[in-house]
Amino acid sequence: MASSEIYRYLPVLDQEVALDPEGFLVDMADWSPAVAEALAAEEGRILTAEHWEVIQVLRDFYERYEVAPAMRPLVKAVGLALGAEKGKSLHLMRLFPDSPAKVGARLAGLPKPANCL
Amino acid sequence: MILHLLNRSPATAGTVDDALAAMGPDDRLLLIEDGVLGALPAQASLFTGLAGRLFALREDLAARGLLERCAEQANIVDVEGFVTLTEEADKTVSWF
Amino acid sequence: MNETEIATGERVTEGDLLVILRHSPHGSSWLREGLDTALVAAAFGQRVSLLFSGDGVLALLDGQQAGALGQKGTHGVIDMLAMYDIETLLVDAHALISRGLSTEDLLLPVSVVEGAALPKLLDQHRLVLNF
Repeated sequence: MASSEIYRYLPVLDQEVALDPEGFLVDMADWSPAVAEALAAEEGRILTAEHWEVIQVLRDFYERYEVAPAMRPLVKAVGLALGAEKGKSLHLMRLFPDSPAKVGARLAGLPKPANCL
Repeated sequence: MILHLLNRSPATAGTVDDALAAMGPDDRLLLIEDGVLGALPAQASLFTGLAGRLFALREDLAARGLLERCAEQANIVDVEGFVTLTEEADKTVSWF
Repeated sequence: MNETEIATGERVTEGDLLVILRHSPHGSSWLREGLDTALVAAAFGQRVSLLFSGDGVLALLDGQQAGALGQKGTHGVIDMLAMYDIETLLVDAHALISRGLSTEDLLLPVSVVEGAALPKLLDQHRLVLNF
Protein backbone atom coordinates (compact mmCIF):
# COMPACT_ATOMS: atom_id res chain seq x y z
CA MET A 1 0.00 0.00 0.00
CA ALA A 2 1.04 3.61 -0.48
CA SER A 3 2.58 5.15 2.56
CA SER A 4 1.94 8.79 3.35
CA GLU A 5 5.11 9.04 5.37
CA ILE A 6 7.72 11.27 3.74
CA TYR A 7 11.13 9.68 4.27
CA ARG A 8 13.26 11.70 1.86
CA TYR A 9 13.14 13.90 -1.23
CA LEU A 10 14.43 13.05 -4.69
CA PRO A 11 15.54 16.05 -6.74
CA VAL A 12 14.19 15.89 -10.30
CA LEU A 13 14.81 18.96 -12.47
CA ASP A 14 13.34 21.82 -10.43
CA GLN A 15 11.11 19.49 -8.41
CA GLU A 16 11.64 17.85 -4.98
CA VAL A 17 9.76 14.55 -5.13
CA ALA A 18 8.67 13.09 -1.78
CA LEU A 19 9.44 9.38 -1.34
CA ASP A 20 8.32 6.94 1.35
CA PRO A 21 10.79 4.70 3.25
CA GLU A 22 10.72 2.12 0.45
CA GLY A 23 11.31 4.67 -2.28
CA PHE A 24 7.71 4.80 -3.58
CA LEU A 25 6.12 8.14 -4.43
CA VAL A 26 4.15 9.64 -1.58
CA ASP A 27 1.94 11.49 -4.07
CA MET A 28 1.23 9.61 -7.30
CA ALA A 29 0.51 12.92 -9.03
CA ASP A 30 4.23 13.73 -8.80
CA TRP A 31 5.01 11.12 -11.44
CA SER A 32 6.46 12.06 -14.81
CA PRO A 33 8.81 10.28 -17.18
CA ALA A 34 11.63 12.41 -15.73
CA VAL A 35 10.75 11.13 -12.23
CA ALA A 36 10.84 7.55 -13.53
CA GLU A 37 14.28 8.17 -15.00
CA ALA A 38 15.55 9.66 -11.76
CA LEU A 39 14.18 6.71 -9.75
CA ALA A 40 15.80 4.30 -12.20
CA ALA A 41 19.11 6.19 -12.05
CA GLU A 42 19.12 5.68 -8.27
CA GLU A 43 19.14 1.94 -8.97
CA GLY A 44 21.84 2.35 -11.59
CA ARG A 45 19.36 1.58 -14.34
CA ILE A 46 18.82 3.33 -17.66
CA LEU A 47 15.30 2.99 -19.02
CA THR A 48 15.02 1.57 -22.52
CA ALA A 49 12.02 1.31 -24.82
CA GLU A 50 11.37 -2.15 -23.35
CA HIS A 51 11.20 -0.68 -19.85
CA TRP A 52 8.89 2.11 -20.93
CA GLU A 53 6.34 -0.17 -22.54
CA VAL A 54 6.09 -2.22 -19.34
CA ILE A 55 5.82 0.96 -17.27
CA GLN A 56 2.90 1.94 -19.47
CA VAL A 57 1.26 -1.46 -18.92
CA LEU A 58 1.66 -0.95 -15.17
CA ARG A 59 0.11 2.50 -15.31
CA ASP A 60 -2.78 1.25 -17.45
CA PHE A 61 -3.35 -1.61 -15.00
CA TYR A 62 -3.55 0.84 -12.11
CA GLU A 63 -5.82 3.15 -14.06
CA ARG A 64 -8.28 0.33 -14.62
CA TYR A 65 -8.13 -1.67 -11.38
CA GLU A 66 -6.87 0.90 -8.86
CA VAL A 67 -4.21 -1.47 -7.50
CA ALA A 68 -0.69 -2.26 -8.57
CA PRO A 69 -0.44 -5.82 -9.92
CA ALA A 70 1.43 -8.66 -8.24
CA MET A 71 3.81 -10.67 -10.43
CA ARG A 72 1.30 -13.09 -11.88
CA PRO A 73 -1.25 -10.53 -13.13
CA LEU A 74 1.61 -8.31 -14.31
CA VAL A 75 2.91 -11.14 -16.51
CA LYS A 76 -0.61 -11.64 -17.84
CA ALA A 77 -1.20 -7.93 -18.47
CA VAL A 78 2.13 -7.58 -20.28
CA GLY A 79 1.31 -10.63 -22.39
CA LEU A 80 -2.07 -9.20 -23.34
CA ALA A 81 -0.70 -5.74 -24.15
CA LEU A 82 2.69 -6.53 -25.70
CA GLY A 83 2.36 -10.07 -26.94
CA ALA A 84 3.06 -13.53 -25.52
CA GLU A 85 6.78 -13.20 -26.19
CA LYS A 86 7.05 -10.42 -23.61
CA GLY A 87 4.45 -11.80 -21.23
CA LYS A 88 7.04 -13.99 -19.54
CA SER A 89 8.48 -13.61 -16.08
CA LEU A 90 11.98 -14.11 -17.52
CA HIS A 91 11.61 -11.02 -19.69
CA LEU A 92 10.36 -8.97 -16.73
CA MET A 93 13.07 -10.31 -14.43
CA ARG A 94 15.66 -9.15 -16.95
CA LEU A 95 14.16 -5.64 -17.15
CA PHE A 96 13.40 -5.22 -13.45
CA PRO A 97 15.62 -7.65 -11.54
CA ASP A 98 14.77 -9.16 -8.13
CA SER A 99 11.10 -8.25 -7.98
CA PRO A 100 9.60 -6.95 -11.25
CA ALA A 101 6.20 -6.20 -9.72
CA LYS A 102 7.70 -4.11 -6.95
CA VAL A 103 10.53 -2.45 -8.88
CA GLY A 104 8.23 -1.79 -11.84
CA ALA A 105 5.49 -0.30 -9.64
CA ARG A 106 8.02 2.06 -8.06
CA LEU A 107 9.27 3.31 -11.41
CA ALA A 108 5.72 3.62 -12.74
CA GLY A 109 4.80 5.81 -9.78
CA LEU A 110 2.31 3.32 -8.35
CA PRO A 111 1.88 2.21 -4.74
CA LYS A 112 3.64 -0.98 -3.68
CA PRO A 113 1.71 -4.00 -5.00
CA ALA A 114 -0.70 -5.29 -2.37
CA ASN A 115 -0.39 -9.03 -2.87
CA CYS A 116 3.33 -8.99 -3.45
CA LEU A 117 5.25 -10.94 -0.84
CA MET B 1 -15.89 -36.48 4.86
CA ILE B 2 -15.87 -32.84 5.89
CA LEU B 3 -16.21 -31.65 9.49
CA HIS B 4 -18.37 -28.51 9.52
CA LEU B 5 -18.06 -26.15 12.48
CA LEU B 6 -20.95 -23.86 13.38
CA ASN B 7 -20.49 -21.11 15.97
CA ARG B 8 -23.70 -19.12 15.54
CA SER B 9 -26.99 -19.68 17.32
CA PRO B 10 -29.57 -21.09 14.91
CA ALA B 11 -32.20 -18.85 16.50
CA THR B 12 -30.53 -15.58 15.53
CA ALA B 13 -28.55 -16.24 12.36
CA GLY B 14 -29.14 -17.82 8.97
CA THR B 15 -25.67 -19.28 9.11
CA VAL B 16 -27.05 -22.68 10.06
CA ASP B 17 -28.95 -22.86 6.76
CA ASP B 18 -25.76 -22.14 4.80
CA ALA B 19 -23.94 -24.86 6.68
CA LEU B 20 -26.71 -27.43 6.25
CA ALA B 21 -27.06 -26.63 2.54
CA ALA B 22 -23.37 -27.30 2.00
CA MET B 23 -23.23 -30.60 3.90
CA GLY B 24 -22.81 -33.89 2.11
CA PRO B 25 -24.41 -37.14 3.24
CA ASP B 26 -21.36 -38.25 5.25
CA ASP B 27 -20.31 -34.85 6.56
CA ARG B 28 -20.44 -34.09 10.26
CA LEU B 29 -21.52 -30.95 12.07
CA LEU B 30 -19.91 -29.82 15.31
CA LEU B 31 -21.67 -27.04 17.21
CA ILE B 32 -19.23 -24.76 19.04
CA GLU B 33 -19.45 -21.42 20.87
CA ASP B 34 -22.98 -19.98 20.34
CA GLY B 35 -23.58 -22.79 17.88
CA VAL B 36 -24.27 -25.07 20.86
CA LEU B 37 -27.64 -23.37 21.27
CA GLY B 38 -28.61 -25.57 18.35
CA ALA B 39 -28.33 -28.54 20.69
CA LEU B 40 -31.45 -27.45 22.60
CA PRO B 41 -34.39 -29.79 22.02
CA ALA B 42 -36.42 -26.88 20.65
CA GLN B 43 -33.95 -26.60 17.74
CA ALA B 44 -33.70 -30.32 17.15
CA SER B 45 -35.97 -30.31 14.11
CA LEU B 46 -33.32 -28.37 12.18
CA PHE B 47 -30.94 -31.29 12.40
CA THR B 48 -33.17 -34.30 11.87
CA GLY B 49 -31.22 -35.31 8.78
CA LEU B 50 -27.99 -35.55 10.75
CA ALA B 51 -28.60 -38.63 12.88
CA GLY B 52 -25.23 -39.72 14.30
CA ARG B 53 -23.45 -36.82 12.61
CA LEU B 54 -24.37 -33.98 14.97
CA PHE B 55 -21.92 -33.05 17.72
CA ALA B 56 -21.76 -30.31 20.32
CA LEU B 57 -18.78 -29.15 22.32
CA ARG B 58 -19.03 -30.00 26.02
CA GLU B 59 -17.06 -26.99 27.27
CA ASP B 60 -19.27 -24.51 25.40
CA LEU B 61 -22.44 -26.26 26.57
CA ALA B 62 -21.25 -26.30 30.18
CA ALA B 63 -20.30 -22.63 30.12
CA ARG B 64 -23.84 -21.77 29.04
CA GLY B 65 -25.57 -24.09 31.52
CA LEU B 66 -26.83 -26.24 28.66
CA LEU B 67 -25.06 -29.50 29.38
CA GLU B 68 -28.12 -31.11 30.99
CA ARG B 69 -30.54 -29.46 28.58
CA CYS B 70 -29.32 -31.00 25.34
CA ALA B 71 -31.34 -32.89 22.79
CA GLU B 72 -30.48 -36.58 22.71
CA GLN B 73 -29.50 -36.50 19.06
CA ALA B 74 -26.49 -34.27 19.83
CA ASN B 75 -23.34 -36.24 20.59
CA ILE B 76 -21.41 -34.36 23.22
CA VAL B 77 -17.64 -34.19 22.73
CA ASP B 78 -14.94 -32.45 24.71
CA VAL B 79 -11.96 -30.62 23.22
CA GLU B 80 -10.11 -33.91 22.78
CA GLY B 81 -13.11 -35.24 20.91
CA PHE B 82 -12.97 -32.11 18.75
CA VAL B 83 -9.38 -33.00 17.88
CA THR B 84 -10.39 -36.57 17.05
CA LEU B 85 -13.23 -35.37 14.82
CA THR B 86 -10.79 -33.07 13.04
CA GLU B 87 -8.34 -35.93 12.51
CA GLU B 88 -11.06 -38.15 11.10
CA ALA B 89 -12.16 -35.52 8.59
CA ASP B 90 -10.51 -34.75 5.24
CA LYS B 91 -10.88 -31.06 6.02
CA THR B 92 -12.87 -28.70 8.17
CA VAL B 93 -15.09 -25.84 7.06
CA SER B 94 -16.09 -23.10 9.50
CA TRP B 95 -19.47 -21.34 9.34
CA PHE B 96 -19.69 -18.10 11.27
CA MET C 1 -12.32 -23.53 -15.28
CA ASN C 2 -11.31 -26.96 -14.10
CA GLU C 3 -14.06 -29.41 -14.78
CA THR C 4 -14.05 -33.15 -14.63
CA GLU C 5 -16.69 -35.63 -15.59
CA ILE C 6 -17.69 -37.75 -12.65
CA ALA C 7 -19.43 -41.07 -12.71
CA THR C 8 -22.93 -39.60 -12.79
CA GLY C 9 -22.09 -37.49 -15.83
CA GLU C 10 -22.61 -34.36 -13.77
CA ARG C 11 -19.96 -31.64 -14.29
CA VAL C 12 -18.06 -30.77 -11.17
CA THR C 13 -15.66 -27.96 -10.51
CA GLU C 14 -12.47 -28.81 -8.66
CA GLY C 15 -9.52 -26.84 -7.40
CA ASP C 16 -7.09 -26.12 -4.59
CA LEU C 17 -9.13 -23.49 -2.81
CA LEU C 18 -12.81 -22.66 -2.66
CA VAL C 19 -13.58 -19.24 -1.22
CA ILE C 20 -17.21 -18.82 -0.19
CA LEU C 21 -18.33 -15.19 -0.17
CA ARG C 22 -21.48 -14.63 1.87
CA HIS C 23 -21.39 -10.90 2.58
CA SER C 24 -22.38 -7.94 0.43
CA PRO C 25 -20.10 -5.08 -0.61
CA HIS C 26 -19.80 -1.93 1.56
CA GLY C 27 -21.55 -3.28 4.68
CA SER C 28 -18.49 -4.96 6.16
CA SER C 29 -14.96 -5.91 5.20
CA TRP C 30 -15.75 -9.63 4.88
CA LEU C 31 -16.15 -9.59 1.12
CA ARG C 32 -12.95 -7.64 0.51
CA GLU C 33 -11.00 -9.91 2.82
CA GLY C 34 -12.33 -13.00 1.06
CA LEU C 35 -11.40 -11.58 -2.32
CA ASP C 36 -7.93 -10.60 -1.05
CA THR C 37 -7.42 -14.15 0.20
CA ALA C 38 -8.39 -15.47 -3.22
CA LEU C 39 -5.96 -13.09 -4.95
CA VAL C 40 -3.06 -14.06 -2.69
CA ALA C 41 -3.72 -17.76 -3.26
CA ALA C 42 -3.93 -17.21 -7.02
CA ALA C 43 -0.73 -15.16 -6.97
CA PHE C 44 0.91 -18.29 -5.55
CA GLY C 45 -0.40 -20.38 -8.40
CA GLN C 46 -3.25 -22.08 -6.54
CA ARG C 47 -6.36 -22.96 -8.53
CA VAL C 48 -9.02 -20.83 -6.88
CA SER C 49 -12.79 -21.04 -7.22
CA LEU C 50 -15.18 -18.45 -5.86
CA LEU C 51 -18.68 -19.27 -4.68
CA PHE C 52 -20.95 -16.27 -4.26
CA SER C 53 -23.66 -17.23 -1.85
CA GLY C 54 -26.25 -15.37 0.23
CA ASP C 55 -25.71 -11.60 0.15
CA GLY C 56 -22.35 -12.31 -1.49
CA VAL C 57 -24.11 -12.34 -4.87
CA LEU C 58 -24.39 -8.56 -4.57
CA ALA C 59 -20.63 -8.45 -5.20
CA LEU C 60 -21.35 -9.39 -8.82
CA LEU C 61 -24.11 -6.89 -9.45
CA ASP C 62 -23.76 -4.55 -12.39
CA GLY C 63 -23.65 -0.79 -11.74
CA GLN C 64 -21.78 -0.63 -8.43
CA GLN C 65 -19.98 2.53 -7.35
CA ALA C 66 -17.73 3.84 -4.62
CA GLY C 67 -19.36 4.23 -1.20
CA ALA C 68 -20.87 7.35 0.31
CA LEU C 69 -17.59 8.55 1.76
CA GLY C 70 -15.71 7.63 -1.38
CA GLN C 71 -14.54 4.23 -0.13
CA LYS C 72 -13.53 1.96 -2.96
CA GLY C 73 -16.01 -0.78 -3.68
CA THR C 74 -15.05 -4.32 -4.55
CA HIS C 75 -16.24 -4.28 -8.17
CA GLY C 76 -12.74 -3.29 -9.31
CA VAL C 77 -11.42 -6.47 -7.74
CA ILE C 78 -14.16 -8.53 -9.41
CA ASP C 79 -13.12 -7.01 -12.74
CA MET C 80 -9.50 -7.94 -12.00
CA LEU C 81 -10.06 -11.62 -11.13
CA ALA C 82 -9.36 -12.74 -14.67
CA MET C 83 -5.91 -11.14 -14.48
CA TYR C 84 -5.17 -13.50 -11.59
CA ASP C 85 -6.53 -16.43 -13.62
CA ILE C 86 -9.48 -16.77 -11.26
CA GLU C 87 -12.07 -17.80 -13.78
CA THR C 88 -14.23 -20.20 -11.81
CA LEU C 89 -17.03 -17.96 -10.62
CA LEU C 90 -19.94 -19.83 -9.13
CA VAL C 91 -23.22 -18.46 -7.88
CA ASP C 92 -25.66 -20.19 -5.60
CA ALA C 93 -28.94 -20.39 -7.51
CA HIS C 94 -31.05 -19.87 -4.40
CA ALA C 95 -29.13 -16.70 -3.46
CA LEU C 96 -29.99 -15.17 -6.85
CA ILE C 97 -33.62 -16.24 -6.90
CA SER C 98 -34.38 -15.15 -3.36
CA ARG C 99 -33.11 -11.66 -4.22
CA GLY C 100 -35.06 -11.46 -7.45
CA LEU C 101 -31.87 -11.40 -9.50
CA SER C 102 -30.74 -13.29 -12.56
CA THR C 103 -27.41 -13.79 -14.27
CA GLU C 104 -28.37 -10.90 -16.58
CA ASP C 105 -27.90 -8.53 -13.64
CA LEU C 106 -24.29 -9.59 -13.13
CA LEU C 107 -21.01 -8.04 -14.26
CA LEU C 108 -19.48 -11.25 -15.51
CA PRO C 109 -20.51 -14.61 -16.88
CA VAL C 110 -20.89 -17.07 -14.01
CA SER C 111 -21.87 -20.68 -13.45
CA VAL C 112 -25.04 -21.12 -11.45
CA VAL C 113 -24.87 -23.91 -8.87
CA GLU C 114 -28.01 -25.63 -7.62
CA GLY C 115 -28.23 -26.35 -3.90
CA ALA C 116 -27.92 -30.08 -4.42
CA ALA C 117 -24.50 -29.62 -6.03
CA LEU C 118 -22.98 -27.69 -3.11
CA PRO C 119 -21.72 -30.65 -1.03
CA LYS C 120 -19.87 -32.04 -4.05
CA LEU C 121 -18.37 -28.63 -4.73
CA LEU C 122 -16.93 -28.42 -1.22
CA ASP C 123 -15.70 -31.98 -1.48
CA GLN C 124 -13.82 -31.27 -4.71
CA HIS C 125 -11.62 -28.52 -3.23
CA ARG C 126 -8.63 -29.23 -1.04
CA LEU C 127 -9.37 -26.24 1.17
CA VAL C 128 -12.60 -24.33 1.78
CA LEU C 129 -12.65 -20.89 3.40
CA ASN C 130 -15.77 -19.01 4.39
CA PHE C 131 -16.05 -15.24 4.34
